[in-house]
Amino acid sequence: MSHETPLGSSAPHASCLDLWRERNDQLVRQAKVAQGLSLRRQQLAQDALEGLRELLHCLQVLETQEQLEPRLERGLSGLWDSVLHSSSLLPELLPALHHLAALQAALWLSTDHLGDLTLLLQTLNGSQSGTSEDLLLLLKTWNLPAEESDAPLTLQDARDLRDVLLTASAYRQGLQELITGRLSRALSSLQEAASGLCPQPVLVQVYTALGTCLRKMGSPQKALLYLVSALKGGSTWGPPLLEASRLYRQLGNTAAELESLELLVEALSIPHSSEAPQLLIEVELLLPPPDPALPFHSGTQSQAKYLLASRCLQTGRAEDAAEHYLDLLALLLDGSEPKFSPPPCPPGPCMPEMFLEAAAALIQAGRAQDALTVCEELLSRMSSLLPKMPQLWGDARKGTKESPHCPPWVSATYLLQGHAWVQLGAQKEAISEFSRCLELLFRATHKDKEQGPASNCDQGCTSDVALQQLRAAALISRGLGWVASGQDTKALQDFLLSVQMCPGNQDASFHLLQTLRRLDRRDEATALWWRLEAQTKLPQENATWSLPLYLETCLSWIRPHDHETLLEEFQTSLLEPRDL
Amino acid sequence: MVGLTPRVDYLAGFCCPLGGLAAGKPRMLCLGAEIFLSTGSELVYVYDRERGLLTAVYKFPGQVWHLELLALRRALYVLCARRGIYCLSLDQASRSVSQDDGDDKDDGDDGDSEDSQDGEPPSSVIPVDPDACVLPDATLCTFTVLDDVLITLAQGPTQWKMQLFKCPCPGEDPRPRGQIGEVELSTCIPPAGSPREPTAPHFLPVLCCVSPQGSRVLHSHLRGSGGFTLEETLFGLLFGADASLLESPVILCGLPDGHLCCVVLKTLVTSRLAPGDPKALVKILHHLEEPVVFIGALRTELLAEDVEESHSDCLVALGHHGRTLVMKASWDEAGNLVPVLREYCLPGPVLCAACGRGSCMYHSTPSDLCVVDLAWRGTPWDPTQPDGSPGGLPSLLCPTTLNVCSVVTLSVSPRAPEGGAELLALSAKGRLMTCRLDLNSETPCPTRVTAANTGQKIKEFLSGIFTVSERVSSLKKAVDQRNKALTCLNEAMNVSCALLSTEEGPRPISCTTTTSWSRLQLQDMLTATCLLENSSDFSLDQGWALCVQVLTSSRASELDLASSAVTYTIPVDRLGPGSRWEVTLPLGPGEDGVLDLPVTVSCTLFYSLREVVGGALIPSDSFNDPSLDEHSLDVLPEQEGICLPLSKHTVDMLQCLRFPSLATPHMQAPGPLSPASDPVDTFLGACLGPGSELAGPASLQAKYLPPSVAAIKMSVELLRATLGDSHSGVSLCCATLQWLLAENAAVDILRARALSSVQGVAPDGTDVHLIVREVVVTDLCLAGPIQAMEIQVESSSLANMCRAHHAVIGRMQAPPHTLRIREPAS
Repeated sequence: MSHETPLGSSAPHASCLDLWRERNDQLVRQAKVAQGLSLRRQQLAQDALEGLRELLHCLQVLETQEQLEPRLERGLSGLWDSVLHSSSLLPELLPALHHLAALQAALWLSTDHLGDLTLLLQTLNGSQSGTSEDLLLLLKTWNLPAEESDAPLTLQDARDLRDVLLTASAYRQGLQELITGRLSRALSSLQEAASGLCPQPVLVQVYTALGTCLRKMGSPQKALLYLVSALKGGSTWGPPLLEASRLYRQLGNTAAELESLELLVEALSIPHSSEAPQLLIEVELLLPPPDPALPFHSGTQSQAKYLLASRCLQTGRAEDAAEHYLDLLALLLDGSEPKFSPPPCPPGPCMPEMFLEAAAALIQAGRAQDALTVCEELLSRMSSLLPKMPQLWGDARKGTKESPHCPPWVSATYLLQGHAWVQLGAQKEAISEFSRCLELLFRATHKDKEQGPASNCDQGCTSDVALQQLRAAALISRGLGWVASGQDTKALQDFLLSVQMCPGNQDASFHLLQTLRRLDRRDEATALWWRLEAQTKLPQENATWSLPLYLETCLSWIRPHDHETLLEEFQTSLLEPRDL
Repeated sequence: MVGLTPRVDYLAGFCCPLGGLAAGKPRMLCLGAEIFLSTGSELVYVYDRERGLLTAVYKFPGQVWHLELLALRRALYVLCARRGIYCLSLDQASRSVSQDDGDDKDDGDDGDSEDSQDGEPPSSVIPVDPDACVLPDATLCTFTVLDDVLITLAQGPTQWKMQLFKCPCPGEDPRPRGQIGEVELSTCIPPAGSPREPTAPHFLPVLCCVSPQGSRVLHSHLRGSGGFTLEETLFGLLFGADASLLESPVILCGLPDGHLCCVVLKTLVTSRLAPGDPKALVKILHHLEEPVVFIGALRTELLAEDVEESHSDCLVALGHHGRTLVMKASWDEAGNLVPVLREYCLPGPVLCAACGRGSCMYHSTPSDLCVVDLAWRGTPWDPTQPDGSPGGLPSLLCPTTLNVCSVVTLSVSPRAPEGGAELLALSAKGRLMTCRLDLNSETPCPTRVTAANTGQKIKEFLSGIFTVSERVSSLKKAVDQRNKALTCLNEAMNVSCALLSTEEGPRPISCTTTTSWSRLQLQDMLTATCLLENSSDFSLDQGWALCVQVLTSSRASELDLASSAVTYTIPVDRLGPGSRWEVTLPLGPGEDGVLDLPVTVSCTLFYSLREVVGGALIPSDSFNDPSLDEHSLDVLPEQEGICLPLSKHTVDMLQCLRFPSLATPHMQAPGPLSPASDPVDTFLGACLGPGSELAGPASLQAKYLPPSVAAIKMSVELLRATLGDSHSGVSLCCATLQWLLAENAAVDILRARALSSVQGVAPDGTDVHLIVREVVVTDLCLAGPIQAMEIQVESSSLANMCRAHHAVIGRMQAPPHTLRIREPAS
């Protein structure tokens, strides 16, 4: 902070003032010399600051001012108004007054009192600049009177402060406009911030914001240029890399997108270097607190890793996905003692779902055995929370129909285990896993919503739609298992149930159709065919509900490959007997 | 366990302030034979039990608020108020032993030894090097250590902030290697005033680290730092699947506002650029509605086999007033695993508490140290049991007294005797003692007296005497306070009976209200003076208050009378028999210059039970913590007390009229704009011009409209009867006017000048003219004309005319005797 003398002039004796000033100048010199990174120097600077603080307290006037502060908080703008409009303002006080105003402006900017700030600047600029409400314009046109040569030393002069204010408010304004979608204005504000005197970390943020802005405006090449300069500039690579991955995703360049994400993971694994405490008012101090909701908040390493893994799975790179998921689990679980690791960001899936996604990726990659291991690990880690089933369900004495509540992810684990067995060719084991899954799913009642304080995550993970799809998936999976082992009647039963469960799920209907045909139940097959035909002609209400990634993956395994051919084939076979 | 008698041994005495040690800040930790102790001052003592002496005393630059040990690293972490966290190496501590310290072994000293110790700490005080400060932060309120992570709780201006730091090792660069996580407990608002301010907070938050059973974190670390290992089931149920899967330790946090929340440690590692999202990271488990003073864990179920490591299966949180939350896993009727959270009530206020390895929790109040056993001796984990109470929790907690009082900090010693427990306790008088309990046997083993153990026996007796004497002095204080409260209550009952039993005639305690105009803060103000007169034989003491309710007429028309009135409560400060006491209150006009007449002033005597009985509810006043008093009083409802109505007085227009025209230099009646006003005020008044007091439509009306007039006629005969003899010697007109203005300060001038009409000024400055003349009413009665008195009220303001008219009517309707009573003595 900088220290002003005008208030000190109220000290009655000039000699006191001189003493005070001498000490002030000495401390300021000490602080300026001490700026640097070494610990010793920091200590020196800290001592200087402490000295300045004491000096401040010497001034009785300032002390009372400080006590009054809470009460004055509202009246401050009024005070400024009366001071600046006072007719008897001494010209020699002007530089100090402007300096003080710059400090006030910094305070108001950091506490979001933008209205007061605008008013203050308008008054300082005098009436000629008129009624401009533009903070940036006001800051730019702020004409600071020259400091007198014999003024006491200060740590940071008014001009320096004004430049800091200009950059900070340009960036704040740009962010605000970016969030509210006024892109062209955001662009100009951010460019203003970038052109100002800007410390490196802030410049990286500004360039990243520019990249986001340009991407949204549809200029990906320009955006890339900014992101590249951001990456060249600083040591915080997280935000620009994350933004680059979004940009490549928008451009459809999956390889580049995944590469950016990989780099992001690496960048985030580098620990933060602790920074020297700031002595002066810098742009960083005046920026709004970082907000995870902002588009270029890079998050933590495991969050990035998760993003990479799930994108790999979504884009069909199952092998990479499997590896990344395994890395992620290792990162989270085996985080050896001193190293704590975070799970992905809050809106992401909860831990059990991450295990399930890992298992799904492994199955997709053809590593069924590993998938089984992951599932078993999940179940064993959570075993203490699972109901002790045989012992409880065997208890007929109480005659309770209600079953223990079981989180949906437990059923999903059995479903994935079943599919792993399918891949391993063990139909019997697969069918038994699917049956366990179904048993749990159909016993789960919807009413146990009011759970203990812990289960909000478990509840939140799976919506009703997802639960319905999960049931259908389990039924179809078991049906396919029956088909594979040649038990068409049992398969028919499961497919029928799944159609009833999810009338909109066409996969279930196709499987049912095929089975009916195989069993030569022509009439039912025809009826179903007509219904399917009608359905396909209707505008597809697409599956817009977002399902958990592991369920999406699982559903893709049980999708019949040849919808069209099947329908056509059936049509011809259907029409033949009609012609007869 | 009824009648547990612990064996108490005194180890040492420590400096304590005159009023005794306050609870909340002292801390005590054990490591082997060493006891680390802070009494809430700036000293930290290291006491060696085996050698029976103080091995080191460290002096910190401020009050010590918290201690933690990291046994494996042999490091002691100390939170110094408004400074930050310091780290001391224990090896260094034992090296700087100074043996010639005479402060220990003062078992034989009598009670006044504390005073002698008061001024000067022991000689070998080692000032702590400022470089030992590993985390300078003035806002820290508490912390805990887990492995090499330092978890701190700081008080921000609006919220509590939890931060994680890499703990520095002793000998390393002392600065913490950096913050690795941060979250704000946004839902929990800290009490106003940050710890930067000189007054220390009454209650500090409590942190407790809980690890799941399978966690790879070494358990020895946890033990040392006051953490617990919890059974997987309860852990998963309370903290969620994520915490279980990550096998992450969880920080439980009990706040002074009663919130009990938890943070999964592994999720708290966030990038330094962004603090964590509190909604995702902080979960509120419960709200205890009183300051949380302790969090601990217990093993309540008996283990089936002899399992080596027993993990806690039950979490306990204790509130300051004794509200106790117990959390345990259980099966519900449908066979689902559910967490059971049950609240109990233990005697409070709780000064400190501790949990042992078993099922016992110890907690201390000013008057006693109690042990509560939460052991569940039913069949474990059997949902089929029809009568199994949920969670295997007892329906009631029965604390057993240990007959030790005023323990301000407790620690369960790791060196427990077989089948028992050993507690280390620090009493409010600064005495460090051990309490050995035999939890198994019902009767203490009789010991044969031999020459060898006679010395030991005598020592025990002496210890016993100290315990008893401390306890007696605390109980005596409580009894004295209760007696005092009873005496006060008796007095209050006497006063109430005296007041309520007199229905007719003068009451033993009366209150009369008079009004007058006076000049307060450059404004003319109508003030009411209530004179409380005690002519009874009893005195009004502490606890009595005079409540004066002022009800203005505009409010009187509204429905919610009680809430719109202004009530002044003035404590009566000892009003002995025969004494008087006067209270003067402003009635108006308010800032807007409006005085809504009539105003009703009701006086009531109120006796506050809270004030008198409340003191007796606190058993001891040795804990000079003002918050204790406030909180104990919550037992009594806010408005509890005795209410005795005394008088009701209506102030109307006739009482408030002023008569500047009558003012003579030597008369005291103040008029509006009396000459005593501020010259500047006078100047401004003059600048604004005449008539400026009236603004807006009122002034226009005054200028251009004829004044409103009302006349009331009253039969002369009736009037004579009403006035009685008092009018003798003056004309009936004058007497009538005097009668009307009897309660006005100007009545004496009226009487002296024998006026029958008068020009007055209403509170808002408009004129009010009263004219009394004799008239003959002819058209009213068939019997002939009636002699009547006409009272004419005239004012430029219709409202004031109405008010005056209303007041006149009120005089006529009042019962005759009240009129006479108010007749001034001439």
